[in-house]
Amino acid sequence: MVDFSRVQKELQECNRDINVSGISVNPKSDNLTNLIGTIPGPTGTPYEGGTFKIDIDLPDGYPFEPPKMKFATKVWHPNISSQSGAICLDILKDQWSPALTLKTALLSIQALLSAPEPDDPQDAVVAQQYLKDYQTFASTARYWTESFAKTSSLGVEEKVQKLVEMGFPEALVRSTLEVVGGDENMALEKLCSG
Amino acid sequence: MQPMDSDHDPLFRYTFSVYSHDQVYYDDAYAGDDDGVDVDEATDDSNVLINRANSTSEKSYLILKEDDLLRRQEEDITKVFSVLSITRDSACMILLRYNWSVSNVHEAWFEDEAKVRALVGLLEVDPAVKFPKSGDQIVDCGICFESISKRDTATCGCDHIFCKTCWKAYVCTSIDDGPGCLTLRCPEPSCAAAVGPDMVNVLAPDNKKKRYARFLLSSYIESNKKIKWCPGPGCDYAVEFDDDFEAGNYDVSCLCKYTFCWKCMEDAHRPLGCETVAKWVLKNTTEAENTNWILAYTKPCPKCKRSIEKNHGCMHMTCRPPCGYEFCWLCLGPYLGHDGRACNRYTNSQKGGELPEAEQQRELAKKAIQRYTHYYERWAANEKSRKQALSDMNKIENTDLKTLSTNYCQPETQLQFILDAWLQIVECRRVLKWTYAYGYYIPKKEEAKKSFFEYVQGEAESGLERLHLCAEKELQSYITNEESEATEDNFNNFRVKLAGLTSVTRSYFENLVRALENGLSEVDDHGSDPGGSSTKVRGRARGGESSSLGGGDGAKRVRMLMRLGMDDGVGGESSGGDYLDDDDDYED
Ligand SMILES: [Zn+2]
Ligand SMILES: [Zn+2]
Ligand SMILES: [Zn+2]
Ligand SMILES: [Zn+2]
Ligand SMILES: [Zn+2]
Ligand SMILES: [Zn+2]
Ligand SMILES: [Zn+2]
Repeated sequence: MVDFSRVQKELQECNRDINVSGISVNPKSDNLTNLIGTIPGPTGTPYEGGTFKIDIDLPDGYPFEPPKMKFATKVWHPNISSQSGAICLDILKDQWSPALTLKTALLSIQALLSAPEPDDPQDAVVAQQYLKDYQTFASTARYWTESFAKTSSLGVEEKVQKLVEMGFPEALVRSTLEVVGGDENMALEKLCSG
Repeated sequence: MQPMDSDHDPLFRYTFSVYSHDQVYYDDAYAGDDDGVDVDEATDDSNVLINRANSTSEKSYLILKEDDLLRRQEEDITKVFSVLSITRDSACMILLRYNWSVSNVHEAWFEDEAKVRALVGLLEVDPAVKFPKSGDQIVDCGICFESISKRDTATCGCDHIFCKTCWKAYVCTSIDDGPGCLTLRCPEPSCAAAVGPDMVNVLAPDNKKKRYARFLLSSYIESNKKIKWCPGPGCDYAVEFDDDFEAGNYDVSCLCKYTFCWKCMEDAHRPLGCETVAKWVLKNTTEAENTNWILAYTKPCPKCKRSIEKNHGCMHMTCRPPCGYEFCWLCLGPYLGHDGRACNRYTNSQKGGELPEAEQQRELAKKAIQRYTHYYERWAANEKSRKQALSDMNKIENTDLKTLSTNYCQPETQLQFILDAWLQIVECRRVLKWTYAYGYYIPKKEEAKKSFFEYVQGEAESGLERLHLCAEKELQSYITNEESEATEDNFNNFRVKLAGLTSVTRSYFENLVRALENGLSEVDDHGSDPGGSSTKVRGRARGGESSSLGGGDGAKRVRMLMRLGMDDGVGGESSGGDYLDDDDDYED
């Protein structure tokens, strides 16, 4: 059974200093076992300016078993699958410890964005490119960040209109968009999950 | 199995003599016939065929029970903590780090104690520090983030405090995860303090403690090159092999009845070498896609085409009524046509005529597959049959012997001949299985060897089929006790017949094993097997057919042995060797 009391504490703690770290964790629905984490792309990297969403599933044994995390935002990185978003990071596997938290795990992922480890690749194609042709790698990563990790440039009214056209009531659409900070994809997800 | 009791009731002495050939056979029945060569070679080892298969050697291995292993482990732990003046648990953790080598631990410790401590993560602290008994001071647990009083916490000697509930979950999760729990450290990622057996004993429930102890014992065994766990399913024994012993035979028979090769851990595979076995196993894996169909356990009856499932051990099939067709499971030919011969021979049926090149290649490929299939199918069928025989034997041992004992007013000790027959069947199926792998690898050009091999194998196989049939079908009629023939008299005849077949089959297989171990060079007439029965049967044969012997013609000798077995009725009192009594052979 997931220790929900600890998860609650973690969420409060993490979102308290969101302005400093830029890292947040929010429940995907009412269920505290599915969460969405957000990390800003580190400055001075091809990921700068992007906001990366991480799907988090808490297994029954959490925090004694590691949380399952993968990128929901597409990203071009040697240790992250460009297909599935799977992350190759030791603390998410055998190096996990219950003294770590969701926030420390997300910070580690952020550090991984800054310092790829191409010798232990998750995505062999990306890793090859990183080692053999760093310039192409960097521009591909930057292009992916532009395309997938930046909040859509639509204005608020356009987002509202789009979601209302999908059949959701306007008042609910507006309040939902507010809760998720204007992210239309997250709003859609929240609307769909009721 | 019990050693054969030679002091048993005189009434049974004679009837048993067929089986118990070591002593009684010669003393009673053939003392006058024998040329005396082997009379006093009788060994007093337990009369189990598995030992018999190794009759040239003493046991070169020791079966160790968990208690034996734990005792040895504890001795090593004691050697370390008494010399190093540390706790038992610390000694245990250091040994774990140094692969259970007491001398390496001593050496490393006296060279640089601090270094050893750091490597292991050993903080020699008082148990009271690890589990504070008192203290109202409120602290925060580093895992659940709750505030608790100090007496509800524990540490592994470092400064990192967690509540006992979290500690328990931490230790249990790690034990569930596997042997990695043996090197568990403080939950704080930056801390190297070890969590040892002392913590586990306080924090884990009994079933987890047991699992932990098991991992500890396994690591002890895996570090010892002379000891291996028995790979038998669910078996808890370990086997220590004396590797100074004569090389060449690594077959081990565990107390759980599983037999395996200590060297390569495959199923026991005498007379084949580990290399041939490895080659064959690899071949089977690579061919698996092509041959999966072989393992399908049903085949259509060759006559009426209804599908028949093989669920008995022997290869003699009889279709359900009204068809009643009797056929051989392996070749689907009529069983009667076999006439006691086995269908072990691989015949290259089609001769390649003048075909176009592509056609020729296809033919070649087809033949290669057919050839492999021939051997594989027989290898697999014998393995399946061996497993079936093993479970049949267990059932007989556990239930049927009681029935028979009541039905025929005989103590169970006098029914040992039945188990002996089944043990022989199990062992023979195993040998026969491997001879098919052997046969596959006989080079094409070695025509003479191949035909000698097929001859010896064929004799052994048909002997085994007769024995298996008798032990399966005839025995069943005595167990169910339905037919009028199931009288006490007939049962005693059955005893003679089954024991005789057992003995004859054993001889065949000893010849087969010897032939293969000699690489199919002609079998030495005075084989290097003084304890084996075949030598004795041979000795006896000299009386009757001495002129035909001495040439060292293995095949001829084997043929003669067979005739001996059949015509003489081995016990000297069988009514005429009607071993193909198969009137009620139903498979359904
Ligand atoms: Zn706690
Ligand atoms: Zn610590
Ligand atoms: Zn065993
Ligand atoms: Zn082997
Ligand atoms: Zn039929
Ligand atoms: Zn059968
Ligand atoms: Zn056949």
